[in-house]
This record gives sequence, C-alpha cells and structure tokens, in this order.
Amino acid sequence: MVKHSTLIIALLLASGQTLAEGQVDADGFTNPLQNLQFNPGLDQQEFERASSDALQVYDPLESWNRRVYHFNYRFDQWVFLPVVDGYRYVTPDLVQTGVHNFFNNLGEIPTLANSVLQLKGQRAMNSTARLLFNTILGVGGIWDPATKMGLPRSSEDFGQTLGYYGVPAGPYLMLPLLGPSNLRDTGGLVADYGLENAVNYLDVADASRSNPGITALRIVDTRANTGFRYGQLNSPFEYEKIRYFYHESRKLKIAD
Amino acid sequence: MPSIARLAALLGGLAFFASAMAADVDAQSYGYPLANPFEATIATTPPELRPELPADGDIRQSDYSVRLRPDREFELLDNFWPVTKLHYRLAQQNGRAPLIFIIAGTGAHYASGTTEYLKKLFYGAGFHVVQLSSPTSYDFMAAASRFATPGYSPDDADDLYRVMQAVRAQHPKLDVSEYLLTGYSLGALHAAFVSQLDETRRAFDFKRVLLLNPPVNLYTSITNLDKLVQTKVQGIDNSTNFYDLVLGKLTRYFNDKGYLDINDAMLYDFQQSKERLSDEQMAMLIGASFRFSSADIVFTSDLLNRRGLITPRDYRITESTSLTPFFQMALRCDFDCYIAEQLMPMWRARYDGGSLNQLIDKSSLYALEDYLRGSDKVSVMHNADDLILGQGDIGFLRRTFGDRLTLYPRGGHCGNLNYRVNADAMLEFFRG
Repeated sequence: MVKHSTLIIALLLASGQTLAEGQVDADGFTNPLQNLQFNPGLDQQEFERASSDALQVYDPLESWNRRVYHFNYRFDQWVFLPVVDGYRYVTPDLVQTGVHNFFNNLGEIPTLANSVLQLKGQRAMNSTARLLFNTILGVGGIWDPATKMGLPRSSEDFGQTLGYYGVPAGPYLMLPLLGPSNLRDTGGLVADYGLENAVNYLDVADASRSNPGITALRIVDTRANTGFRYGQLNSPFEYEKIRYFYHESRKLKIAD
Repeated sequence: MPSIARLAALLGGLAFFASAMAADVDAQSYGYPLANPFEATIATTPPELRPELPADGDIRQSDYSVRLRPDREFELLDNFWPVTKLHYRLAQQNGRAPLIFIIAGTGAHYASGTTEYLKKLFYGAGFHVVQLSSPTSYDFMAAASRFATPGYSPDDADDLYRVMQAVRAQHPKLDVSEYLLTGYSLGALHAAFVSQLDETRRAFDFKRVLLLNPPVNLYTSITNLDKLVQTKVQGIDNSTNFYDLVLGKLTRYFNDKGYLDINDAMLYDFQQSKERLSDEQMAMLIGASFRFSSADIVFTSDLLNRRGLITPRDYRITESTSLTPFFQMALRCDFDCYIAEQLMPMWRARYDGGSLNQLIDKSSLYALEDYLRGSDKVSVMHNADDLILGQGDIGFLRRTFGDRLTLYPRGGHCGNLNYRVNADAMLEFFRG
C-alpha cells in the first residue's frame, strides 16, 4: 500500500516535472500551448484593436464602391469567367502561355519607365535586359527566356512611383471591371496606359486601335491569369477584406 | 532509486502498450522537417516534400449549385444574392470510379486551399471528388443550413447529409462504384457524424471514412483557439498594432531580399530570416484567422435568425449598405461568446434544455464513442502536436480507435496533410 502511494506520488511529481519542462504526456500528446506566454488575465484586446484599425481605410465613396463590387461580382460570374473558360477550352496551353508572355513583355515598358523614375537602377537594368532578351530571343516576347536566365519579372507602375514620392493613396475606389484601386493608383493606371500608347512598342498600341480584338485578348488573358474569384473569401465581409488586402499589398509594393 | 526504476519501467510499459495499439510514427523515420507546430500549421509542408498532383488543366471539374432552401431567396437581404444557392465543386473521372466527399474545416469554403489540395490528391488516384463547404461557413449557413446556427454536430451532419443527397441527385449519370468520405479539422468531426447518420439512412453506405485532425472535445478546441489571441506579443504599442507589426516585418524582409515575391517557399525562408515570427506571434496569427471565422458565423447566424444581437431586427440592408459597423461588432465575439449568446439558447429551445456540458458531449467525438469503437471502416489520422487538442484527447482516440489511429509526431494542425508520407497513407487507406 505504502509502495503504491509512493509510486502514485512519484508519478504525479514526475508528470508535474515533465509538464514544466514541456515534455510529452503519457498518451503521446506534446501540448504545444504549454510553452506559450499568455497574458495573465486573458483579457487582452489586441486582436480587436488591430482588426478595428484595419477597417479604417479611407473610403468616402463606400456605398458607390459597394454597388460596383456587386456589379463586378455578377459580371465576373455571368460574362467574364465563362469567356475565360471558353478561351481556355479552345486554346492550346502552349498558345495561352505565349499570349501571356507576349503581353507581359509589353508590360516591361511601364516597369522600366517607373523603375527609372524611382531611381531604382538595378531594377531598371533587370527590366531592360528582360525586354531585350525576350523580344529578340523570345521572338517578340512569346517566350520568356529571361526568367530562365535568372532575371525574375517584377512590375512597377505609375501608382507605385507616385506612392514612392509620398503621394497619399486618396479615397478607395472600386473600379468597374478592373476591381480594387484608389485615386492615386487610378491616376497611375491612366498614365501607364498613355505611356504604352506613346511608346507604341512592337506597334501593338496602333494595331489595337484598328483591331479591338487585341485589347479584348489582353483583357481575357489578364483575367485568366488573375487567381482571384469573387466569393472566394466566403465571408459576408468580403468587401472589407479586399479593401484591406489591396491597401496593404500596395503599401508593400511601394516599400519594395 | 528502485522506485524511479519501477516508474521508468511503468512509463516505458505504458508507452509500449500504447504504441502496440495505435500506429505511432516515430519522428526520425517520419522525416517531416518542421518541429515547431505553429510553423507547421501556418506554412504547411515545404514544396519539395509535397506529393505530385495533377495540374488544374488536367482535371475535369466544374462548380455546380443546388437549391436546398428556396425560402432563403426571399428571406435573405439583397446583398446575399450570391449565397441563396449552395455551390460545390465536382471533379469527375471518365467512367466508373469511387466517389469521395470532402468536408472543409471551420468556416472554410469548398474551394479553400486544403480542400483543393485533397481534391487533386484523390482525383489523381482515380476518384470522382465532391468538395463541400463547412456547415460553419457563410455560404453553407445561408443556403443549406436549416437553423443557420452551426455547432451542434448532429444537426450539422444532418444538413450535410441532405446536401450530399442533393448533389448525387444532380448527377444521375455519374458512374459511381462506391462512396467514400473524408474531412479535415472540424470537417473531420462532421464526417464522423455523417458516417453514423448514414448507418441508419443508408443513402451512401460509405465504404471508408477518414478523419483528418478532428477535434475530440469541441469545447477544448474552441477554448484553445480563443486563447491563441491572448499570447504576450513583443513589439506592440500605442502606435503599432499586431498587423502592423507583422506587415512591418514582411516589408523589411522583402527590402533585404531586394524583390517582392510571395509564394509557398517564401514562408520557410522568412522564418529563417532575422524578421522571423516568434511562437507567440504565430499563435496570435492563427488565433486571429479563427476569430475572423467566428465573426462571420456570429454575424450570419444572428442575421439569418433575426436575433438582433449584431444587426438590429428591422435594419434594411441593400447592396450599398456598409456592413463595417456590424463587422466591428461581430469581431468582438469569439467562439465562446457565440456559444453562449446564440448556440446555447437555440439548442436549449429546440431540444428542451440541457447544460453546456451536455451540448459539448453531444457535439464532440464522445457522442460517437461506441459507434467509432465498433466501426472498422472509420480511421483517424492525427498529430501529437496539434494545437486544437487538449490533455487526454489522444488517450481517447487510442482507446476508441485502437490500431485505426495513426499518430504523427509532427505537423501541428493539418500542416502535414500535404506531406508526401501522409498523402501516401491517405491513398493507401482509401484504396485498401
């Protein structure tokens, strides 16, 4: 009897010790929460505070933006995605990749211009090299040999340039068909579009004017390569979440 | 001294006895690289150790929808138009094959990352696959749930069962040889209840059921998750909140690297850098993501039942109405608060009272103990370092499942599901 009780006490002591050292239970459970430091009162409001701050994105046009969000959602489901699916169905993978590379190559022009404007020498050189290799070796940009050569694609737009020089984001905007943006980035979009038209690289801008099919193809290609689907966040608060993600991801891109 | 030797012998014996029963995988031969359960939960498996999966383009799949609650189309407010019908995804093989249902975890969508991964894995093995949203998710609550107050597992399983039957009815030409069932996290608990329901309703007669990282005691899991946002996190002050802290770290990390590139491999690299997150910070991040799920549940359940706790009863909501104030209010309510304010009152009113303990008992694996003990077709895979478990839970699994429990030494919560070894074990179980 005495032996038994000492055994039990020893067992209890041992289990106490093992717990303190972060050891394993008899049934194999390692109890990962035991080593965390918690606030003693468990009444910390940090999650609530941080989340509440995250909802403070400047959005004076909210009710308009929300209508556009619902419009985009419907358009996506009823027009955009079916067209994208059709495009994927009829076009061989190789052609799809070629089309995507081609438009990406055109996109190097604004990246190059904005890298220069932000005085980012290395990125501008990277972009120039990509442009040359992909246009010449990649036959007008249909292939992307530059990435294989260790020149990763990065993108800079005029919205980022403005942000780099301290222009504030301005009110949040949900653009029809294009999705989340803000006043600064919408301005940037217009500027980049103007630039592409002015440069008229590979004659694409001119050709697009007489043949709207090229623009349409570019739009479909962009949608096909954008992973986002409305409803994907599966939350009644998807609007708020997209707004916050957009806001923060732009800040990350500007800082980079 | 002799007593210590005896103790050692006893503990050794216990360990031996236990390992003789369940299939315990030892850490060395297992080879899963992430020893930190929080890292494993967030980053899952390093890309090079994941199984080979079919490409999206090679999967014959489509999203469909079923109308289960026609009344909701009129009941739901304007901005809920996307969720009046329940959507799901079906990937079909050419010709005859087994069909597997996958039930998503807490708050998760049928197309969420883990469900998509499991789909690819099982599709690659030659199964038809149906992906279902969790009964705790926004779309399921709005479109398919009878009471829109998830948490009482028998009711949730009943809702799921109706969905599964509706899904099958929509594809009469699909050539199915047999039915299989799986779920991860909360979805695994649901799968267990669905399997039991199927024993009496017999619509599917599931051949095999696999539970991946299920909660054992629902309340323990909820308490753990609620507690994760209470960790002491360094670096927070009046001007810097928790998200700013994490984003600041990310910004500095990318600046050091020289370019911005967010991908699967980045997370491991980030955790090797000097900006790495501490355990407390990772715990807070995991806890925060679950709090967003609870906010969705709190808001949706309250609104659908017109309880008036978050949204005033007669408040008019259109597509242009700001929901931000309600979001802010719902964010204050964690799982515990949801149970106290919405689930308990509803359950007591519907089933004639009962205590919280009874509710927990009936909603947890305990309620199925006898069924699971005698049911050879149901197996469970779990991790020794899973955050949603409490003390004694693994003991319960060992007693109940015996050698049908596979216990992995690492992986955190669902972090090793996409590890090659686990993938092989899952396929072997279903092919078996």
